[in-house]
Amino acid sequence: MPEIIDICAITELPPGSRKLVEWEDLEIGVFNCGGSLYAIEDRCSHDNGPLAHGDFDPDTCTVECPRHGSLFDLRTGNPKTLPAYAPVDTFPVIIDDDLIKLEVD
Amino acid sequence: MATPETIAEQQALHGINADYAEKYGFHDPENYLFKAPKGLTRELVAQISAFKNEPEWMLEFRLKALDHFLARPMPTWGSPLLAGVDFDDIHYFVRASEKAERSWDDVPDDVKKTFDRLGIPEAERKFLSGVGAQYESESVYHQVNQQLETQGVVFMDMDTALREHEDLVHEYIATLIPANDNKLAALNSAVWSGGSFVYVPPGVHVEMPLQAYFRINTENMGQFERTIIIADEGSYVHYVEGCTAPTYSSDSLHSAVVELFAKPGARIRYTTVQNWSQNVYNLVTKRARAETDATVEWVDCNLGSKLTMKYPSVYLMGERAHGEILSIAFAGNGQHQDAGGKVIHAAPNTTSNIFAKSISKDGGRSSYRGLLEVAKGAHGARSKVVCDALLLDEASRSDTYPTIRIGEDDVNVGHEATVSKVGDEQLFYLMSHGISEEEAGKLIVNGFIEPIVKELPMEYAVEMNRLIELQMEGSIG
Repeated sequence: MPEIIDICAITELPPGSRKLVEWEDLEIGVFNCGGSLYAIEDRCSHDNGPLAHGDFDPDTCTVECPRHGSLFDLRTGNPKTLPAYAPVDTFPVIIDDDLIKLEVD
Repeated sequence: MATPETIAEQQALHGINADYAEKYGFHDPENYLFKAPKGLTRELVAQISAFKNEPEWMLEFRLKALDHFLARPMPTWGSPLLAGVDFDDIHYFVRASEKAERSWDDVPDDVKKTFDRLGIPEAERKFLSGVGAQYESESVYHQVNQQLETQGVVFMDMDTALREHEDLVHEYIATLIPANDNKLAALNSAVWSGGSFVYVPPGVHVEMPLQAYFRINTENMGQFERTIIIADEGSYVHYVEGCTAPTYSSDSLHSAVVELFAKPGARIRYTTVQNWSQNVYNLVTKRARAETDATVEWVDCNLGSKLTMKYPSVYLMGERAHGEILSIAFAGNGQHQDAGGKVIHAAPNTTSNIFAKSISKDGGRSSYRGLLEVAKGAHGARSKVVCDALLLDEASRSDTYPTIRIGEDDVNVGHEATVSKVGDEQLFYLMSHGISEEEAGKLIVNGFIEPIVKELPMEYAVEMNRLIELQMEGSIG
């Protein structure tokens, strides 16, 4: 059953910034690409290492895995480069009354 | 009865009698336009980029890669010989000529003489569709058959490709092997120079191979070529690379990055005959992406170098894609050949084979290291991995490090591994038929590697057999 969790006020995550959050055993990165918000699981599909603190490019809306360099599209979770070939999980972002919320499973 | 082919083969074998030192181990006087001092600095990386008049994005790519290289520790797996690589004792960039010429007449005399001696111009005339020749850091010659050029086939050195096809290079480079993939790929990304760029348009079959020949001449040289091959839909290309270097008492480093893109229905065969001198560390990253119904074949023969660590890989990303890795490693005294291959089945009904053969003698060490991965959802995948090792004496060593990960139930995967020793019985059997002990040893080795050598074009198969014969001399008895 999906659950809605609060992340932060929208003013706390301006364009070009990111925030790492934990929910139960999930770690999630929330990113602001030029005003659009996206959330992915903080786990590279290549070797399960942490992903969301890698180089973030708001212009292309991508994050680069710090361990082996795979580039992930934050909008879809799909890798744009090897060695990762499987997508990472994404989570719908909801803006509710100036609050950023995530829908998680 | 001798066929014309076997006669030609025998003649070729008889014609070449020199050993490595005479045939390949020579070096030329150094009349270089530029030779960087030893060591790797940010300034040198910027200087290489400036020398080549590169766009800003490439300079940024290089500098970021340098940061990755400096931040990453040296791998601790693989070979203990790896600890001997001294990154401060390498010349990272040496320029021998102004540009890659399209006529051998325009190549500087010393350099041309080297390639004449190695037989490259003659091979081009006889049986190749195109040739690239790299001397130290850069290509000195690149030419492709005119008919292929009019069909849209692009075969040029990477530096020229970056100038003439910048958008294509930008689109593809480092998408299979990111700069931060591993320490050596990061190093290559920071200081890369030369290598080949190949584009084959949809439906075009390049019937005769394209060949690149890589030559190191100076001592303590680092050669870092970068190659991209794009075979568009339904096309075919066979790319062959060879390499040699002079024999020195101190070490050189060769660290290439090769990325192959086989679009739907395309087929790429990439053959390597690696014959570096035994003072070269050969640390190479090679990766291919095969889309729907595409085939990628790596034929990887490793005879030379002090240490080779190389595991060509194929990512089968489209349905029914096929990957094939044929690997031969020959490790003699003081050598470690750590070779193998990786196949990732990421789509349904994909198929692959990895056949690896290694021979160790005189205390040499060969290792098979491989990965076979079947992703969840890649149902109907079929794969066979066979690795065989032949030990010629008690002092030699062979290791096998296979990794198999299966994430899907409906698959068919097989793995076989054998280690055998040339036994007295086999030698006795052949000798009882009037064959000398040395000849018997050669026959056994040739029989062992024959299934892979027969996949090489005839000219390379002859060369391979000849090299094996040279390596085998005096090894038995």
